[in-house]
Amino acid sequence: MLAFWLRGYRLYFRMVGASIRAQMQYRYAFFMNILGWAMSYAGTAVTMWVMLSSFKALAGWTFWELIFLFALAVLSWGVCVLFFSHFRSMDQYIVNGTFDRFLIRPLHPFFHFMAMKFDVGAFGQLLFSIAAVVIAYIQLGLDWSLWKWGVFLGAVAGGVFIQSGIVVLISAIAFWTTRSERFYWVVMFPAKSMMNYPLTLYPRILQWLFIFIMPFAFVNYLPALLLLDKKHPVYSPYWGSVSLLVGILFFWICYRIWMLGLSRYKSTGS
Amino acid sequence: MKQLRMYLAFSRKAFQRSAAYRFDAWTRLLSNVIFLCMWGFIWYGLYSGKESVAGVSFESMLSYIVISQMLQGIHGAGTPLWEIQERVRTGDIAMEIMRPYDYPTRTLFSDLGNIAFHFLTAVLPLYVVLFWLFDLSIPSSLTQWGLFLISAVIGYLIRYSIELTFGLFTFWLIETGGVEDIFYFSISLFSGSVIPLWFFPDWLESVARYLPFQGIFFVPNSIFTGQLQGQTLVEALLVQFVWLIISFLILRFVWAKATSKIVVQGG
Amino acid sequence: MNAIEVKHLSKQYVIAKRQEGMWGAIRSLFHREYITKTAVEDVSFSIEAGEMVGYIGPNGAGKSTTIKMLTGILVPTSGEVRVGGLVPYKERQKNARQIGVVFGQRSQLWWDLPTIESFELLKEVYHISDRRYRRNMDTFTEILKLDEFFQTPVRQLSLGQRMRADIAASLLHDPSILFLDEPTIGLDVVAKERMRTFIQEMNKERGITVILTTHDMSDIEKLCKRMILIDKGRVMYDGGLEKIKEHFGTSRILIVDVEKDISLNIEGVEVIREEGIRKWLRFNREEYTAAQLIQQISEKTEIIDISLQEPEIDSIIRQMYEQGL
Repeated sequence: MLAFWLRGYRLYFRMVGASIRAQMQYRYAFFMNILGWAMSYAGTAVTMWVMLSSFKALAGWTFWELIFLFALAVLSWGVCVLFFSHFRSMDQYIVNGTFDRFLIRPLHPFFHFMAMKFDVGAFGQLLFSIAAVVIAYIQLGLDWSLWKWGVFLGAVAGGVFIQSGIVVLISAIAFWTTRSERFYWVVMFPAKSMMNYPLTLYPRILQWLFIFIMPFAFVNYLPALLLLDKKHPVYSPYWGSVSLLVGILFFWICYRIWMLGLSRYKSTGS
Repeated sequence: MKQLRMYLAFSRKAFQRSAAYRFDAWTRLLSNVIFLCMWGFIWYGLYSGKESVAGVSFESMLSYIVISQMLQGIHGAGTPLWEIQERVRTGDIAMEIMRPYDYPTRTLFSDLGNIAFHFLTAVLPLYVVLFWLFDLSIPSSLTQWGLFLISAVIGYLIRYSIELTFGLFTFWLIETGGVEDIFYFSISLFSGSVIPLWFFPDWLESVARYLPFQGIFFVPNSIFTGQLQGQTLVEALLVQFVWLIISFLILRFVWAKATSKIVVQGG
Repeated sequence: MNAIEVKHLSKQYVIAKRQEGMWGAIRSLFHREYITKTAVEDVSFSIEAGEMVGYIGPNGAGKSTTIKMLTGILVPTSGEVRVGGLVPYKERQKNARQIGVVFGQRSQLWWDLPTIESFELLKEVYHISDRRYRRNMDTFTEILKLDEFFQTPVRQLSLGQRMRADIAASLLHDPSILFLDEPTIGLDVVAKERMRTFIQEMNKERGITVILTTHDMSDIEKLCKRMILIDKGRVMYDGGLEKIKEHFGTSRILIVDVEKDISLNIEGVEVIREEGIRKWLRFNREEYTAAQLIQQISEKTEIIDISLQEPEIDSIIRQMYEQGL
């Protein structure tokens, strides 16, 4: 069993290493890509700053609190993009028939597809979000206990699982409809943008949707309540401490759906 | 006259083609509405407990956001920047200069065909319902309607000129990541698409006022909601028009350079 | 032992019927009609280890569906498949180790990487030992001249180079069975020949079982002793190449230049083309000998020139499809 995982791990890094080298062939593009992503997130942060320059607070959140909320989401999204970004365009592999190649090798198809690409552009997200978290931490005068650092890491890891789960789910749609990328832009991207702002802005039904169905709230809002010592009448701040658990469970469900889609693909070959 | 007929044929073709891609049009509309909701709730949150800020009531702010989102929905049916860049990279544009028409004009007319379809079948019905449902303030006089329409059209043309210009930079750049981000950032912030300029810090507002982007959404939106009136309105329209001429001239200049580059080096 | 056993294999697809128009699109969200399409129907055959078999048929006949079931990509609706003793869709990964697959239309290699890196990755994927890897690479490089483009990314290879790389990659792990789907499609004459020689060599020297689908009948003529003909999902013929000529290639064509342009009405003979004094006559070998026919014509008019066309495998097969046997 251990040997099996070790081999998988080694193989993943071999394949991913190759993918990185392929992206590094155009060095200038490589750096511009990273810089571009960092800049575009910084742009959203500037928009937040302009907005709060006249209004001071949004639903009880000050500018730096808002930045922390935003950066926490971008941090786990960045890690998710590193590993899963190409799942969004899985529909193209299915439409032009190249998906079959993931079924003719002695590898697990999910693993094989995942090892296909490692999107280094996501270093831009990481660059921005780490810098933003650090600055917000200083500006807000935070001083976390070991427990809170644990919550923070759990939130990041859980956020990676939750957002990766959604990306995997979106790609799985392609097994049934031969479309996936569109769903990312129509559903996930707007939903993700909404979560850059405090959850309580939105009506109760959306809040529940983001907690119980598409658990985006565990990516940043709930952990941020706990980490920034903010109070909410309904959501106990301790909800934010279970992000990792929620994430693993959610990702597992999405993975099962993906496998279900794969078995459908194997019986229809569409 | 004959020229115009030919360009209009492109509009007609694009209109018909759009019908085949109506699924895409509807999904685009769905994401447009989600963003509308998001900004609606954010502004509702910002205004909570406040009657008016900087002399603007929540009602007119909401109206501003809705009309802004509607214009953005319309703009979304045009050729996006990444597609222009793709056309340059694949050499499609180089092929087009061999044809007996002016490429920027041709694309504009194609886009107008797409926009007409998207506007009539998706954006207009939805937003009529929204304005009626939320009882939002709309222009009270025919003149205001007329001025808004003129301003919105100029706004679109400014955006078109700038977007195509940015797209044509691909002829000289190997990697366009940075260019794209500057464009999208300017379009989203300095155009006043989500935050009107009057809420900007003073120094930033003056910067924005000297940029062409405010002509894209901010001026038509403000005319629509009645924030711009009388002499300031006329001034704003004039400035907008001047920016249109400037961005158009820049586009023509860059296009001429690009064409000569294609002719000399074969793209 | 048989390398491949297929018994009563069938594959049906259920596809949603497309509804026309805007209302149709909305209606189909709630209610869909389905049609069942049979891609492969009751196909049986077995292939011995070391055989080289052509699997041919027109577009949409069910060739690739069969190949996909043999490689474990698709699950059959009914029937049995065994490849090297394994049921491919049940033990897909294990099966993948004993087969090599080449799809002529699309590469199985890593698109953005220098070609050599794809080989190195495959070494890991298939757990190939260093010794075996080096031995195979040396052989393939020598025959296929792979080293000319080792450092070139796959997407920049010419079609011929790409096919060479793809087939070498498919054989790297010493599979006992090789599936080739259109291996010569789009290649020029020289590249085609090189490809065929390589396939033949691998089959002969290493005893690899080869199944080959193709549109190009000359592939079959050069490579295969046996062919399985499939149309509309059913096997139409399974047997030797010579036999097919004997059995089905009974019609021959006589081309005569006659002195006078008169109509040649002979019972059982069809005039298929006329160009002035030159006429093409199709006749059945079992009814007439060529000599008999020539004599009949010469009774009517004087013959200036004469030639006889034997049927080509291409036209025999076309005829079989048209007439449905």
